[in-house]
Amino acid sequence: MNKILKLAIVLFLVCAVAAGALGFVNNLTAPIIFAQAQAKTAAAFASVMQADGYEEIEFDKESFPTVDTIHRATNGAGHVVTSTFSGAQGNITLACGVDPDFKCTGISVIEHSETSGLGANAASTAEVGVKFRAQFVGQDESIALSNAGGSIDALTGATITSRSIAGAVAESIRVVKSLG
Amino acid sequence: MNPKKQFTEGLITNNPVLVQQIGMCATMAITTTLFNGVGMGLSVLIILTCCNVVISLIRKIIPGEIRLAIFVVVIATFVTIVDLLLQAYVPALSEALGVFIPLIVVNCIIIGRAEAFCQKMPVGACFLDGIFQGFGYTVVLIIMCVVRELLGAGRFGGGLIDVSNGFRFTLDGTGAGIQIFPESYGASILSLPFGGFLTLGVLIAVMQYALKKSELKKAALAEQAKAEEEKEEDE
Amino acid sequence: MSEKNERLIFDVAYQPQVRTTVDTRRLMSDVIVAMIPVAIVAVYRYGWHVLVLMLTGMASATFFEWAYRRLLHKSITIDDYSAAVSGLLLVMVLPPQTPWWMIVIGTFFAIVVVKQLYGGIGKNFLNPALAGRAFLTASYAGTLTVVIIDGTTMATPLSYLYGENPLPFTVAQNFLGKIPGSIGEISSLAILLGAAYLIVRKVIRWRIPACVIGSVALISLVCGHAGYGRVEWMLHNVLSGGVMFTGIFMATDYATSPVTRWGQAIYGIGIGALTMLIRCFGGFAEGCSYAILIMNLTTWALDKACHRHQFGVSREDIAAARAAKKAAKKEAV
Repeated sequence: MNKILKLAIVLFLVCAVAAGALGFVNNLTAPIIFAQAQAKTAAAFASVMQADGYEEIEFDKESFPTVDTIHRATNGAGHVVTSTFSGAQGNITLACGVDPDFKCTGISVIEHSETSGLGANAASTAEVGVKFRAQFVGQDESIALSNAGGSIDALTGATITSRSIAGAVAESIRVVKSLG
Repeated sequence: MNPKKQFTEGLITNNPVLVQQIGMCATMAITTTLFNGVGMGLSVLIILTCCNVVISLIRKIIPGEIRLAIFVVVIATFVTIVDLLLQAYVPALSEALGVFIPLIVVNCIIIGRAEAFCQKMPVGACFLDGIFQGFGYTVVLIIMCVVRELLGAGRFGGGLIDVSNGFRFTLDGTGAGIQIFPESYGASILSLPFGGFLTLGVLIAVMQYALKKSELKKAALAEQAKAEEEKEEDE
Repeated sequence: MSEKNERLIFDVAYQPQVRTTVDTRRLMSDVIVAMIPVAIVAVYRYGWHVLVLMLTGMASATFFEWAYRRLLHKSITIDDYSAAVSGLLLVMVLPPQTPWWMIVIGTFFAIVVVKQLYGGIGKNFLNPALAGRAFLTASYAGTLTVVIIDGTTMATPLSYLYGENPLPFTVAQNFLGKIPGSIGEISSLAILLGAAYLIVRKVIRWRIPACVIGSVALISLVCGHAGYGRVEWMLHNVLSGGVMFTGIFMATDYATSPVTRWGQAIYGIGIGALTMLIRCFGGFAEGCSYAILIMNLTTWALDKACHRHQFGVSREDIAAARAAKKAAKKEAV
């Protein structure tokens, strides 16, 4: 009994110190991480559409399960749709701008866990990623990869990632259309 | 324990990946660009050193029955701290490595060193062990990254080096690297997990071959010396 | 004399008991000869450059085999022609627009990684040529998943069969090879000529090819497809893509296919079934090469499960031995 008590106390003390250290570091970094996440979303919005402010609007979540949020640009430039869908490895979170003619104004990958060097290029700031995302500007809901009769060239070695992003863009345009 | 011997052990004769063959999951998964490799290697080096020191410090008060539980708590603490710090200050690296930073918790290198080395050694030796083993790990990651990135995409130093406006290091992971031959000629399967298995397998084979050869050489030298000694004695 | 001493005594000599003049070199030369009709059709359809590709494949495969064994101070095995055959087979399953340097990379992977790293001829567990093809297709998917003739991308019969547009070829055209496809896979007639030669020369046996082609035929006959007659659909499925060529030349590879009768049957049917599964549900148009690679991996298990008992041992003996083993295991527990 004494032995077990001793083990428990030692383990408790170690855990307490660990918890304290973690709490301290978390306190220190939480605001920075939060600010970064916000800045990232804002940057993603800014890169897909020119607007000075946004207001979040309601939509039919049941018909469009992959869509997370829709923001309407206050200057009438259109809507920004964020959606989460599965890519080749895990979920991808994408911001897609849709103008009043239901054309895509740009896309930006907010979060992903695609293969580094292949699917991850979709979010890359290097030339290959910028080129890939630029193809989406001006597309309508009939968007498709070039091997399926569309005009989007898939990323090298990442057909699944490219296809699922194209699908999400089409879905984003459809959800904005459904708003009327 | 002398530091020089520890250094050769960490880098070559007892290299964590190539000889002990531990911590191979992340080694195969993330070594697609030099930026990932260096970042992962340094993260492990820092975590390993901190864990080694702390475990060595408290080694006398840890009861044997619950030592593994305590190791795991210590390791998880340091990994989470490094994870949070990376998210806050080097978000590009945190994004590139994704789940593999939290997964360092279950990386055998750290618990392996704690179990095999730190629970019986003084703090100084453990500190050096962390640095040298971490360095050995980093070197292997860098070799794998260079091989896979070059053969898979014809590139060197992706994420870490940028040459568009003169040579500079990009610590935020945005550099495109140096394109050595056009990417379309690269065997991109080497950037996939398959390439990780293949490269690591070949590296381990080469390492074992070299170790065996040097051992044979040493044995031959020792025999020669012995023979000469006997000869002298005879005379 | 007691009963115990009354035993038959056999005079046993060391192996081999039967000697023939058949060696690896003769078998491999026969395979090359059997591919001549296929090569003629390929040159007729695609032009002389495919002949250059074939020679590149054979030469580079032989070179890599020689270089690897030379560097590691092993016996030089290039004069059994097995490397040259692997190189030639690799070229045959690639589309005609494949650049020569890709073939060099492919043969490097096939010979050095798949064949030599595992010990050389007879010790590889995957078909080198198919593994080389899989390596190249995964690396250069953009170039190798289409067929380009004279600068225009052509749709292969399989992409029509499993796509939306109706097939513009008749069964006869498909059989004679008036279709676009990989270098060696276009003319089923030429492939069958080669197969007949191999079977007459006893280089391959009929069992594995028959099971591969038969199971593809049976599955497609049973399933059918809207817009095609059942028999028409079956014939197109058998004649298109790599079923004929890989079923005859690759699935019969000695080192990577089972030696037992039932093992060979299951192996062949497995290849056919997997091919049809990949065609119907997979991401690639053609799954034959992957089907063979997957079944290569099961070869050791199939041989183990289907092995025949020693000569002279009856079924009762085997059952008794098995029961004894089980009892011993139980006791040990």
